[in-house]
Amino acid sequence: MNVRHVRLLVWKEFVQLRRDPMLLRVVMIMPFVYLIMFGYVVAADVTHLPTAIVDLDHSVTSRQIDSAFSSTAYFDVKARPDTEAALQTLLDRGDVQVAIVIPDGTQAALDTGQVAGIGIVVDGADSQSSSVGTSYAMQIIADLNQARAADLGAGALPGVDARVRVEYNQTLASVNTMIPGLLASVLMVTLMVVLSQAVVKERESGTLEQMFTTPVSRGEYLVGKLLPYGLLACAQSAITAFVGTWWFGVPFTGSVWIVCLGLLLFMLTTIGLGLLVSLVSRTRQQAQQTIMFVMLPMFILSGFIFPIESMPAPIQPFTKLIPLTHAVVILRASFVKGSGLADLAEPFLYLVGFAIVIFGAAIIAVRRRLSE
Amino acid sequence: MNGLDRIMAIVVKEFRHLLRDPRVLATVLLLPIAQMLLFAYAISFDVRNVPTIVIDQDQTPASRAYVQTYSAGGFFQVRGDAAGIGDVDGIFRRGEASVVVVVPAGFERAITSGAKADVDVIVDGSDPNAARMGQAYALALNRLYGQQVAAVWAEKQGLDLSAAGGLDPRVRTWFNPDRQSSIFLIPGLVAVILMIVCVQQTAVTVVRERDLHTAEQMVVSPVTHTELIVGKLLPWTILAFFDMGMVVAVGMLVFGVPLRGSVVLLLVASLLFVFASLAMGVIVSTIAPSMETANVMALMLAFLPGLLLSGLAFPLESIPVVLQWVSSVFPARYMVDISRGVFLKGAGFSDEWPQLGSLALYTVVALFLAVRLYARKVRT
Amino acid sequence: MSEAAMGQSVVRIRDVTKRYGTFAAVDGITFDVARGEVFGFLGPNGSGKTTTIRMLTGSIAPTAGTISVLGNDAVRHPDRIRTRIGYMSQKFSLFEDMTVAENLRFYGGIHNLGKDVFAERRDYILDMAGLRGRESTLTRDLSTGWRQRLALGVATIHQPELLFLDEPTSGVDPVARRQFWDLLYEMSGAGVTLFVTTHYMEEATNCTRLAFMYRGKVIADGSPRELREAHAGGGPLPSLEDVFVELVG
Repeated sequence: MNVRHVRLLVWKEFVQLRRDPMLLRVVMIMPFVYLIMFGYVVAADVTHLPTAIVDLDHSVTSRQIDSAFSSTAYFDVKARPDTEAALQTLLDRGDVQVAIVIPDGTQAALDTGQVAGIGIVVDGADSQSSSVGTSYAMQIIADLNQARAADLGAGALPGVDARVRVEYNQTLASVNTMIPGLLASVLMVTLMVVLSQAVVKERESGTLEQMFTTPVSRGEYLVGKLLPYGLLACAQSAITAFVGTWWFGVPFTGSVWIVCLGLLLFMLTTIGLGLLVSLVSRTRQQAQQTIMFVMLPMFILSGFIFPIESMPAPIQPFTKLIPLTHAVVILRASFVKGSGLADLAEPFLYLVGFAIVIFGAAIIAVRRRLSE
Repeated sequence: MNGLDRIMAIVVKEFRHLLRDPRVLATVLLLPIAQMLLFAYAISFDVRNVPTIVIDQDQTPASRAYVQTYSAGGFFQVRGDAAGIGDVDGIFRRGEASVVVVVPAGFERAITSGAKADVDVIVDGSDPNAARMGQAYALALNRLYGQQVAAVWAEKQGLDLSAAGGLDPRVRTWFNPDRQSSIFLIPGLVAVILMIVCVQQTAVTVVRERDLHTAEQMVVSPVTHTELIVGKLLPWTILAFFDMGMVVAVGMLVFGVPLRGSVVLLLVASLLFVFASLAMGVIVSTIAPSMETANVMALMLAFLPGLLLSGLAFPLESIPVVLQWVSSVFPARYMVDISRGVFLKGAGFSDEWPQLGSLALYTVVALFLAVRLYARKVRT
Repeated sequence: MSEAAMGQSVVRIRDVTKRYGTFAAVDGITFDVARGEVFGFLGPNGSGKTTTIRMLTGSIAPTAGTISVLGNDAVRHPDRIRTRIGYMSQKFSLFEDMTVAENLRFYGGIHNLGKDVFAERRDYILDMAGLRGRESTLTRDLSTGWRQRLALGVATIHQPELLFLDEPTSGVDPVARRQFWDLLYEMSGAGVTLFVTTHYMEEATNCTRLAFMYRGKVIADGSPRELREAHAGGGPLPSLEDVFVELVG
């Protein structure tokens, strides 16, 4: 490998990048846009859910329930209709997203040691709110039960005293798990979009053909593409990481080396993928469409935004075929749980495997495809 | 040749271009369907099958019965038991489970002797949604179980039962009994996927043509800029509608999404929305100096806000007010609202006129800007 | 130039075929190019000219046959010929978003030119192309004529013995085309072997030897005079165009 050749290729790439300032600006600004989007929108912890309470019992207990819901920031009690039927309109119009129904006979049931069912009605048209609203409501009811048990001195009765505690990320702030995953996602989007155009552009303009009649070897060409974009990606990651953790106050309990190693491996797979797309595409438009086609599912199925456990069972094994999935696991575990290399052996092995396969494929593709 | 004839000529030319490249056609027509199917099928916020590990240090019939209740609900997915408490940290760090239940020795003894049995439930906070749900479900489950135990005991002892009673949360979903996220997401997805395709296609097409200098050739002819833009956008509008039709059909037939509201409203809104998206694409193409940049900008302007700020998947009420204002700048938000209203809530013009108005305003402004910017760009 | 040198083959193609699937872009061609010749490779678009040139530069490998360029096996050791050949493509492959100077610096470096040699060549090319004072212009802002000459300069920056030119004058006005051929003659006079493809029949007369290519096959091979005489049929000498039409017809 001729170092002078590689140096020239890298120099050329940077010269060209500088001539497209919009691209550079976009690459550098994108992390911030993503940080805002994900930090504030995706990671937004649901609060102030508009709620309705239907009290059909009018008892001491029902009033306790009412005040328990009214006094928390999670629920914003907007209406207290007299009948359950009235809920229909409220939910239909979107005036409320959650409704608590305290049926007639609740107090009576409790007094005789029975279980009283409390209805939690959620608006199914808004899945995230209903999911979260459900858990908040259940929490409040559980607290009520606890308080009631204490009041009645139910220490006299047997039962289960469950102590629930949260390990890691005690505040349960979604931001703390979003931002780490974001590092990998931003990297992926940027690199794949930019790289997929890189080779096609040269093929279209004929400079690729020209270059291979010169003493430049295919290996030198690959490295010459890898280095500049790799460097760019590193810079972008560093910025994202610093701003993200600083601005959102995301705690970092893990090892910097693991994060860097994970990101580096992931970067290799992403660059490899971008190059592969670029190599098999004939036109720039084709490259762009292929990238969109490939990237969107990767993004969605990686578990970054939407949890993998909630996906249908047949799909779950496939999520392991997406490099981003493993990168997100590594980053999240490292940031939030301080996981070590041994703990993350599985995702790392996957990433190494992907890096070898994808990059290897890219090298083979270079040898073959560029000879046309 | 009057204006309309010229527009038709451009439309025909554009169509011929499209049909000549079957790959472009395939992506424009098939891509939205394929992706929609994938997402609708895969995406869900509903927490279920939370991997759980139980450490049963009592190993008695009572403790085993207790452990059973976790598997019964469908919420917890009990994966196995581990050796001891020291393991819990490792379990979480390796990501083997999100919930660990520790049943200490003496569980059965406590229950049968009328005392309270301690149980530790530890949740992994690195998945906040699952953790929260895990907490809530665990508490409810324990409450129920405890109540059963207490009732039996109290009966046996002839004790006052009132302390044995408790509140049991019963969750009901209003609109879709299956609580399937797909039904929630599809109406919104319809809008978003359309937008992504529209903005991308236009941005790329116009840039490419500019690159190839054909745009300059067109300027020399007596076509006005407005005619040119309308002529270019019309074929894409038709295709986008075709797409939408397919997407809706699949949504309704395969996923059982209901269509309860005004179809006319949906069509009108879609028309406005498609035009607005195409106009946005043209605007992007005039600002972007190169194709990659057009690409990236389309991604950032269509994909991101489309997905995140439209209310498609993430509730808009919970985000900072500033961002809520930003979201009102993107037409996707209104379209998603209208779409969801028509499909799921049986909405009509009277319900959605504010959104429709905003959408119309947006479209007019976007088209105006598109024509202006395009004219200026071509002149330089 | 000595007789021995003149007789030497710089390119030797034997029974070369290139298939893409079942389609034979090049179907069993054989010819030689001698040192110092201006070898014209004619044929309509799609006849296989570009594919042939690509095989000669070692960019692609033939499906069958042997190719020897400057004494080296182009199939097995393409890297050995790349320092000694130059190539100018149809698209004048220059980096559009780089300046004239940057393009020169890149290619000069790629060919490992020493500082002094590079300075000398750079000056020569700038003068030859008439680009003095335009070193900082972006290539895409140059008119076609200038880009054409710059592309020629870039292709010969390392003073190759053998120069391949693929349709070098397409899209260029007749005056610029004449000037370009003057440059080519200059090079030929200095001993460089030229291999030019074109579909302009008028340019064929500029060459010392020709090969006609049609649908993947070489249908004629010889000097312009030889070809015209061979198809004279006893009457006045036909034009090369007539010869070609007759061969194809």
